[in-house]
Amino acid sequence: MNDLIIIPIIKLLVIFGVCMLFITYTTWLERKALGHFQLRYGPMRVGYHGLLQPIADGIKNFFKEEVVPDNADRAVFLLAPVISISLAVMLLAVIPFGDSFTLFGKRIDLYLANPSIGILFILGFATIGSYGTILGGWSSGNKYGYMGGLRASAMIISYELSMAFAVVSIIMVTGSFSLVDMVAAQHHMWNIVREPVAFLVFLISGIAELNRTPFDMPEAESELCCGYNIEYSSMKFSLFFLAEYTHLFVFASLVTTLFLGGWHGPILPGVVWFFVKTFIVIFLCIWIRATIPRLRYDKVMKLEWKFLLPVALANVIATGVVLTLFG
Amino acid sequence: MELLGIVICGGAALACALLVILSKNTVHSALWMVGNCLALGVLFLFLNSQFLAILQVIVYAGAIMMFIIYAIMMLNLRVAAETDFRKSLFTGRFVVLFLFIICLLALGLGLSPTALKGGMGKIAMAQFGEVNLIANYIFVQGIAAFELVSVLLTAAVVGAVFLARKD
Repeated sequence: MNDLIIIPIIKLLVIFGVCMLFITYTTWLERKALGHFQLRYGPMRVGYHGLLQPIADGIKNFFKEEVVPDNADRAVFLLAPVISISLAVMLLAVIPFGDSFTLFGKRIDLYLANPSIGILFILGFATIGSYGTILGGWSSGNKYGYMGGLRASAMIISYELSMAFAVVSIIMVTGSFSLVDMVAAQHHMWNIVREPVAFLVFLISGIAELNRTPFDMPEAESELCCGYNIEYSSMKFSLFFLAEYTHLFVFASLVTTLFLGGWHGPILPGVVWFFVKTFIVIFLCIWIRATIPRLRYDKVMKLEWKFLLPVALANVIATGVVLTLFG
Repeated sequence: MELLGIVICGGAALACALLVILSKNTVHSALWMVGNCLALGVLFLFLNSQFLAILQVIVYAGAIMMFIIYAIMMLNLRVAAETDFRKSLFTGRFVVLFLFIICLLALGLGLSPTALKGGMGKIAMAQFGEVNLIANYIFVQGIAAFELVSVLLTAAVVGAVFLARKD
């Protein structure tokens, strides 16, 4: 009884709570870091150095007016943010956060589920989650939103491929689809050493899948006002916003799990290492956003189809050859 | 318990499939089709086959439906145009489709590995749906059928492009 219901519920609440807190403060970090990159202070007023700003924003969004445009497809318009946030949060279930430990004589693993198809679960449901973006843009009955949704679907169709091929080479090295096995296989050597090309391809196409600068085509302010979420207000906008940062967190923890050795590290406990590495990857994403300007749309497509995809395919073939000869 | 789950998922899949045909709005049809694919994925889970279930989600609900929605949005089809099915029935293209299905069946029956035809052994039942078993069937025992089917599908795509061109 305890093992089946109570322990999973406690784990669920703890993992959900910690991750949501981390994600909320990622929004603060992004604003603060971007501010300092541009020689401003960022949020300063609410709390010490604006530390209470995310909470103030959340409360503000609760009390704003809910608007559904006349032109909108009402059912789909309301469904889109729900798809976005729920499928993003679902992905947290299969990420291994740390080593298992013993508490009151019971072995506790620091993940909610370890399906034998862990990495495919993430790839599949991340794609389903991006329906939220596309449908949000389509259903608002606004031409900028429409263009945003169209661009989002084109981006996801393209960059999904190179991302999947980068993951395939990791699967070949590890010999398993399970994320827990992948972390265990990196005990002696991190995958970034074995598969540097796959790491670069995964990082670039991941940033593109997240719709972040320099690939933020679906929400390019200067071209589309703000793209797919232009007609969304109040909590519906908040859900989109939160889903985006949840995806950023999941992406950073995937990079950690697949390439940076997961929770492995000296001296400190595994959970701490996991969050330190995830933080570094998130900071890298923010840094890239502050440094590189937005690419033109056709160049984004060219980068994928003429460069990333061939490189990822060649990497899979090279991995296969090396594994057959020396593995 | 399991039967109840299968009945619910099967019912959901059927309802979604009906709504695909009955919806006036093309995007709504596509969305019901995504729902249908997800329900079929859950049915695979009841068969104890996680791998096939997640492939159903990635390939059909994810990739193919994303392509279809992209095409619908690209062509800006909000409400489907009324078409007369009786007029387009019994034309050349249906003969081609029929031939294609016959070829597919013949290939599948003639070249499939023997283990798939007979009853499954005990080990095969225990591993049913596991990655290794499926990979072994497709890429070792049934490699000839697999490659020939892919050639046939390519031919079908070329044929579809030829038949669909405006003349």
